Amino acid sequence: MSQFWSIYIIAIVVLNLVGCAILLLVNLKMTPEEARNETTGHSFDGIQERNQPLPRWWLFLFVGTLIFSVVYLVLYPGLGRFGGLLNWSSVTQWEEEVALVEKRTEPLFEQFAKVPVDELHQYPEARDVGGRLFANNCAICHGSDARGAKGYPNLTDDDWLYGGSADAILTSITQGRNGMMPPMAAAIGGTDEAVHDMALYVQSLSRPDMTSDPQVAAAVERAKPKFAACAACHGQDATGNQALGAPNLTDGIWLHGARVEDIETTIRQGRNSHMPKHEGVLSDERLHVLAAYVYGLSRSDEE
Amino acid sequence: MANYHSVIEKNVSLMIVLTLVAVSFGGLAEIVPLFWQKATTEPMATLRPYTALEMAGRDIYIREGCHVCHTQMVRPLRAETERFGPYSVAGEDVWEHPFLWGSKRTGPDLDRVGLRPITEQWHREHLRDPRQVVPESNMPAYPWLAENTVDWSHMERTLKVFKNQFGVPYSDQDIDDQMNKVRGEWADATEEDAVVAYLLSLGQARREER
Repeated sequence: MSQFWSIYIIAIVVLNLVGCAILLLVNLKMTPEEARNETTGHSFDGIQERNQPLPRWWLFLFVGTLIFSVVYLVLYPGLGRFGGLLNWSSVTQWEEEVALVEKRTEPLFEQFAKVPVDELHQYPEARDVGGRLFANNCAICHGSDARGAKGYPNLTDDDWLYGGSADAILTSITQGRNGMMPPMAAAIGGTDEAVHDMALYVQSLSRPDMTSDPQVAAAVERAKPKFAACAACHGQDATGNQALGAPNLTDGIWLHGARVEDIETTIRQGRNSHMPKHEGVLSDERLHVLAAYVYGLSRSDEE
Repeated sequence: MANYHSVIEKNVSLMIVLTLVAVSFGGLAEIVPLFWQKATTEPMATLRPYTALEMAGRDIYIREGCHVCHTQMVRPLRAETERFGPYSVAGEDVWEHPFLWGSKRTGPDLDRVGLRPITEQWHREHLRDPRQVVPESNMPAYPWLAENTVDWSHMERTLKVFKNQFGVPYSDQDIDDQMNKVRGEWADATEEDAVVAYLLSLGQARREER
């Protein structure tokens, strides 16, 4: 703030305070003549207006606000560039608050950092901290109950696209993941029938009872040889490949929907899933606690 | 002292004038100096003007009333900076006309939403049906954004108004470039494309501080 504006503000503030004080004092005083008369001299219909001094309690409140203003302006910013004796500002208050919390939590995070991810989830305090971090950073996609949504994996079912080891989870969070399934319709024949057959076959992998329907059984027989195209990623036995993030197709857990229509869409259009990386978004210590929390989500029975 | 105040009390016009004078002191001390402060009139060094697509998204953001439930103002409080990102400063909003700070948070603050690791795909799914991705959300769905294409008829004028009236440093070349994109790659852009582009642009001036 320039010198000019500083003086400009100080002048207005001081003039206001002085003006208020003068106004108050002027209105306090009565001439001896006014004081002698009990009325202002107004009279209407025989009713006279009395001339009363300002009530004391009101007067003291007024004086009190003036004193408060002076004390406030001495302690807090208000007079141009003068920052007040307390040196308060919203930014320094924020900085102090952040520093205070950091001082309190850093030893805690250091202590957590010494515990391996696959043990840390058993510490209730770490779980609490992890839960807050999860709510703020992960719940938007994976849900506040961590059960995910269509296209966003459920983290509580112990079914892992990229592996459920402590390391794999930490890597998923830190580096992010890119899941890519190309459109596969052409590779399995390209016709609507071929896609439908394959969808039924894939669905039947986790629901063997489906093949009791002869129509489904026939479709499955037609699709089976073409699954070779899928096996490159999902494996010959269709149990997936965690190195590629190719899901297990036999476990009845469906990231992009379990209906035949959903599976057909997946085959026709492929899927692109992107887990953003959180390196640089959260500190390493926090990522460690978060990984432990996610690790613990599907292991609550162990304790 | 005579009853000078009776002069004011008996003359309404004079009383109105003097009341206005008394009230104006607050604004003279607190608001007028801001028009000449560097902190409020100079854009941050990292600020860049909106692209035409982001500008269209911003207009749709206003049309749909997003600012009624979402603020764009992170206050310097730890709980807010922890949740959203760096607190807002005046230098970020020098080119905002009108500013979209909002005053009510039914939904979360969006001033830093572009800095959060949220995928574009998530934004699209969320706009079409918020409960698809956040079951407990009470945000309305905006499925028509994905169906409507952007109405570009006013964009050239909008950019010129921002350049000439609001002092946003678009060069004539910039505006030509943007309009070429509008006629080219963005010609068939949906309103959803525009809103998502706008949302992802929010907070980018503060990327280094995240």
